[in-house]
Amino acid sequence: MSSRKQLMKHYQLVGQLQPALHAPQHAPYPDTIDHALYRAYTRSAHDIGGEPDVPITWEEKEEEQWELNTFATCECLAWRGIWNAEERRRRQNVDLGQTQYLGLPYYGRWLMTAALIMVDKQYVTLTELVNKIDEVKKRYE
Amino acid sequence: MAKKHTEDEHGHRPPAPMVDEISDFEVLEMAVRELAIEKGLFSADDHRRWTEYVHTLGPLPAARLVAKAWVNPAYKKMAVTDGVKASLEVGVDWINDMPTHFGTPSDYCNLRVLEDTPKLKHVVVCTLCSCYPRPILGQSPEWYRTPNYRRRLVRWPRQVLAEFGLQLPPDVEIRVADSNQKTRYIVLPVRPAGTEGWTEEQLAEIVTRDCLIGVAVPKPGVKANAKRPVHPAVHPVHHDH
Amino acid sequence: MSKVQHDRTHHAKKATGKGDPQCFKGEAGPAKFKVGDRVRIRDLPDIFYTRCQVYTRGASATVSAVVYESPAAEDEAWDNTDKPEWFYSLVFRQKDLWPNYPDLFANDTLETELSERWLEKA
Repeated sequence: MSSRKQLMKHYQLVGQLQPALHAPQHAPYPDTIDHALYRAYTRSAHDIGGEPDVPITWEEKEEEQWELNTFATCECLAWRGIWNAEERRRRQNVDLGQTQYLGLPYYGRWLMTAALIMVDKQYVTLTELVNKIDEVKKRYE
Repeated sequence: MAKKHTEDEHGHRPPAPMVDEISDFEVLEMAVRELAIEKGLFSADDHRRWTEYVHTLGPLPAARLVAKAWVNPAYKKMAVTDGVKASLEVGVDWINDMPTHFGTPSDYCNLRVLEDTPKLKHVVVCTLCSCYPRPILGQSPEWYRTPNYRRRLVRWPRQVLAEFGLQLPPDVEIRVADSNQKTRYIVLPVRPAGTEGWTEEQLAEIVTRDCLIGVAVPKPGVKANAKRPVHPAVHPVHHDH
Repeated sequence: MSKVQHDRTHHAKKATGKGDPQCFKGEAGPAKFKVGDRVRIRDLPDIFYTRCQVYTRGASATVSAVVYESPAAEDEAWDNTDKPEWFYSLVFRQKDLWPNYPDLFANDTLETELSERWLEKA
């Protein structure tokens, strides 16, 4: 028999089961995109005020060291003139795209955005970033 | 599988962890910070100084601002018109406290204090991201950052407030403040009954972070935010104090 | 290889000791609207970036404060800071924003800030 805890978890899981209507054709013909679809696809991902959502348990979270480090990195990048906070928000909360916006953790987005600004503004090449990530990974193998 | 061997401050190795994996985020964070420092984007000292600044932040100055406003009507009037000036009197300089000397990049320098009355209750959200008055209130709580809170508070404020344990009569105007630009808000709640003759310190003790966001109201005897589940960190922040 | 030169010092030069948005004071010219004015929110194209929430567009509000001058977020997000505009705090009735907002709570309001380009006389 399932415990009360397992039953509550079951409710959470079935609440996430939803029918999906997949379009049979990616990159559809332009004449199939009306104003409403155009607006939906080109929306700013961060503009979510008023969207329906369900009651959840409000939680606190203990901060990870890497999250605090990320926050300080992003503020230092702005302090030293690499970007301003509004550029960061645009990149982090809109440019990132709908899937990563909702799929990545909050500070995961800050971190990806800090990595990309360095490459976009040519302070670092992508090659250098890739090699550095590889080097860091190897320290922990 | 990745294993990290660490020694604690006494040079003892902890018992070998079952699995102590380094996450993709931790790898990327180190890579970004090391590269930024190597390329001269900022220094290791800059990063340490900013982290130290963040460690100084918390809700006490905002609580003291509210307590001061409760006992001093002239200060209250000033706080409601000029939040940055009022912050100076509780030891917060929005422009110069932090290493930049031009404010924090993300929080700017325009605090507005939202005054509740018996007929007006404010509650704060940032629907577009999670803007928060860090220099006077510290880091935002996790729930404030969730898409859920950001979606629902502006449209169903009474339902969301009820989930936080706050229900107000229909004739009280609930005003949701959506901090979508450079202004940052704190709520100045109504001083509760049963606090007559209290000192500023006593009053500040019952002004919790949740009261300053607007999802709770101050009550004599209640000195902490409501208990909620706490999602633990895998590698929590080190505190060197 | 073509490499862009970035000026990393311009904001620090402008804002050190002054703060932001204080550093833009005086740059926007006369404010078009004043406290008490009724305005309607324009539904400009929100291509690529906006901080004018879709839930405000087409709705009317009352100017509750003229708050500061700053480049609009839509420009500041690309570091185009040459043309600051006035920012306004606006109060909306919740009943004007949301269908079926209960009549019982007709007094409820929402306050948010928008830059001048988003506003027209109601």
